[in-house]
Amino acid sequence: MEILSNLFNVALLVATIRTTTPILLVALGGSFTTKAGIFNIGLEGQMLIAAFFAVVGSIYTGSSLGGMVIGVFAALVFALIYAVLVVSFRANEVVVGLALNILAGGITVSLLKAIFGTRGSVVGRGIVGLPKVQIPGARDLLGPSTAQLISGYTPLVYVAFLAVPLLIIFYNRTRLGLYIRVVGEKPEAAEALGISIVWIRYAASLLCGLFAGLAGAHMSLGYITMFTENMSSGRGFMAVAILIFSGGDPLKVLAGCLLFGFADAFSLRLQTFGFPSYLVLAVPYAVALVALFALSWRARPKRIRETVETIRRALSVHRSGEADRDAPLPRS
Amino acid sequence: MSAVHGSQLYFNRRHERAPRIQPEVRRRLSTYVSSLSCVNHRLSSPASVCFMDFAVDLTGITKRFGAFTANDSINLTVRRGEIHAIIGENGAGKTTLMNILFGLLQPDAGSIAIGGKTMLIDSPAVAIAEGLGMVHQHFKLVPSLTVADNIFLGMEIRKNGLIDRAAQVERTRFLSEKFGLRVDPQERVAGLSVGIEQRIEILKVLARNARTIILDEPTAVLTPQESHDLFQTLRGFVDDGMTVIFISHHLEEVMAVSDTVTVLRDGRVVATKAKSALTKRELVRLMVGRDISFDRRPRTRNDGAVALNVTDLWARDDRWLPALKSVSLTVSSGEIVGIAGVAGNGQTELAEVLAGLRPASNGSVQLHGHDILDRTPAEIRNRGLAHVPGDRMVRGVDRDATLSANMLMGRQKKKPFARHGVIDWAAVHEAMRALIQRYDIRARGPKDPARSLSGGNIQKVVLAREFTAGGDVLLIDQPTRGVDIGAQEAIHDEIMRQRADGRAILLISTQLDELKALADRILVMFDGRIMGSVDGAEMDEDAIGLMMAGINPADMTEAT
Repeated sequence: MEILSNLFNVALLVATIRTTTPILLVALGGSFTTKAGIFNIGLEGQMLIAAFFAVVGSIYTGSSLGGMVIGVFAALVFALIYAVLVVSFRANEVVVGLALNILAGGITVSLLKAIFGTRGSVVGRGIVGLPKVQIPGARDLLGPSTAQLISGYTPLVYVAFLAVPLLIIFYNRTRLGLYIRVVGEKPEAAEALGISIVWIRYAASLLCGLFAGLAGAHMSLGYITMFTENMSSGRGFMAVAILIFSGGDPLKVLAGCLLFGFADAFSLRLQTFGFPSYLVLAVPYAVALVALFALSWRARPKRIRETVETIRRALSVHRSGEADRDAPLPRS
Repeated sequence: MSAVHGSQLYFNRRHERAPRIQPEVRRRLSTYVSSLSCVNHRLSSPASVCFMDFAVDLTGITKRFGAFTANDSINLTVRRGEIHAIIGENGAGKTTLMNILFGLLQPDAGSIAIGGKTMLIDSPAVAIAEGLGMVHQHFKLVPSLTVADNIFLGMEIRKNGLIDRAAQVERTRFLSEKFGLRVDPQERVAGLSVGIEQRIEILKVLARNARTIILDEPTAVLTPQESHDLFQTLRGFVDDGMTVIFISHHLEEVMAVSDTVTVLRDGRVVATKAKSALTKRELVRLMVGRDISFDRRPRTRNDGAVALNVTDLWARDDRWLPALKSVSLTVSSGEIVGIAGVAGNGQTELAEVLAGLRPASNGSVQLHGHDILDRTPAEIRNRGLAHVPGDRMVRGVDRDATLSANMLMGRQKKKPFARHGVIDWAAVHEAMRALIQRYDIRARGPKDPARSLSGGNIQKVVLAREFTAGGDVLLIDQPTRGVDIGAQEAIHDEIMRQRADGRAILLISTQLDELKALADRILVMFDGRIMGSVDGAEMDEDAIGLMMAGINPADMTEAT
């Protein structure tokens, strides 16, 4: 029991919120492209490049804000290249995305060597981390342990979680948000109404770059102020997975990211209890896999469905159609 | 123009008298000096009144796609306040012409005048600004948005930078009431019937203040009742002084609703006439170029044994929702049983289950007393069921394969096509050559790829293969979808021959005319159920229409 109460406490929730933030930011960014009908697999690369340039920027400008801006700018450059290739030149989005991911990995490694003369990672050297925001009065009102749930995070944590309701309003009540949805869902409708599919997709790509950039900056300037090779460690891909089953819907994205963040935080806790680290590190990905499998079961491909159906029928004796009779009418 | 005889001229004569200016030059001129063109017309034809009473006036429109001329110097004048039908077979150039009028395509020659003003329409935005509105054949609605959102998409009403939902709903309600097009503004479009979707498309056009509405094949997806409602609505528009251009290849509805008819054939105007001066037969002759009959085919009664027996069949669709709900039917030898219904009410799923392409959840299907449910398609075929799929391009043929290879499919292991497990191509080509002759397939030879043929000829290839497969039960799904009238007649002849040969035929069609001409009995499907059965000889269209909309006519008579 003691172990359990040590495992599950406020600190775990706080850690969950922290670990959720970067993946939430990048997944919300990806929600723009997903809604606009682009399967953006290049999130990982945009995040990584932003993380690196955020470190470089913060050393150069001496401020975390400067670092963040430069990191975001780097991600926007990547997003623009992606948009030019995919939207204007109609290149295959998976190929371009993968290529940019590999490019981001390569660039960061070689620039690490060229600028810092090191391999692996860069720590210290004047990197300025993001400040912590203390919400005034939180401590007095809620007490020290509960207060840390809402207070003391970096600004980007608040940005990430506030972005969720803002995005809902964006998609439902603003013209650009509506057009992004239309372009993704029914491009021919957009075309017939004179909405430029190309420009809307560019806008979605760049918004995606902005958020992926913030995610990257949060990774390298948030709770640890350092850059390591491939430090995004698959978060971009996890975001892609979350986007596939959420369809880019902000609330579902949030749910998926919280699940992943929780698994991540939980695995970190387990590590402190002496579980083998290589197993523990697999926990978030295993959880995500199981969740995705469970959620996509309803949308499983036809082949699998038919096979399952055949097996089911082979195993069961004649079942009357009663169950179907009350099913909702599919058509009108 | 030379093809147009004096009597068929309606109001095109002035173009004959107009000075012959090079079309290209004329178009450019008219673009820049739009006001002058009116004067130009007046000088050349003093009797006319500057054509202000013409909603749309197309002159010498020509459009080529490579070597193919889709529109060949077409003149079309639509008076204000009329319903003008443009009728013609597939490929006659109707849609091309309307796309030019709406600014989606640019003509190679010719000029467009709207409300008497000659102008260059280089984008739909220009057309919309001039009061044109187009309801496309394929609806362009966004399923996840509400009705009001769809109507105001692209011209949102905004307040403080945010979309003003309430105002949009309010305005939609106003338009809906004003024009008698009933919709619920706050409903999501996903899941609405096509009839309502079309209403939304029309409201979309009206919200943009269109005075001339173009409808491209508007009734293709509607039930007879929905079509009837649509025609009433269109009549109402015309009474309000609006103009309707109505594209169709459906004779009945053209005769039912239009004031003036323009017939296109091979990209040319064959005739423009007042509807009152036309008969259906004449219209067909103008469209096809020869006489064609759509009367019920004469037949002798065959009292065959039951060949196909379906009982309590249930199945699901691709979205895993029930698509067939306790379907039971029988087909006897020498009988054509027709399945009527609006597309998407389970007909496709029924055909797929019978052909072994879709698992059933429950029920039984017997072919000559043998259970064929859940057998593989090959086993079912060997039992004697031949299947003409509804979508010939997806399941009918391999577009890129030769005609011979397409014909061979399903019989590649049989003699004489295979000897000791090796295909004898010479025999295959020989057999295909015979089929090309026998079924009058317009192809150069058996080695032509299927894609080089027209839709009607590809359909004939599929029919030829299935009818010669040796099955005595024929499952025919949409035999003439997208096939020209001329080829339709030939296909109907062939189906009747198969009936005379004593085959049992299950004919699925969304075209009531086709069922009326061919079927001995007509079963109506709605929402996965068989609503009822109608005798083919004394076909009661009202009863069928009601059943297609899910209403049991027996209930109606009881109620009244």
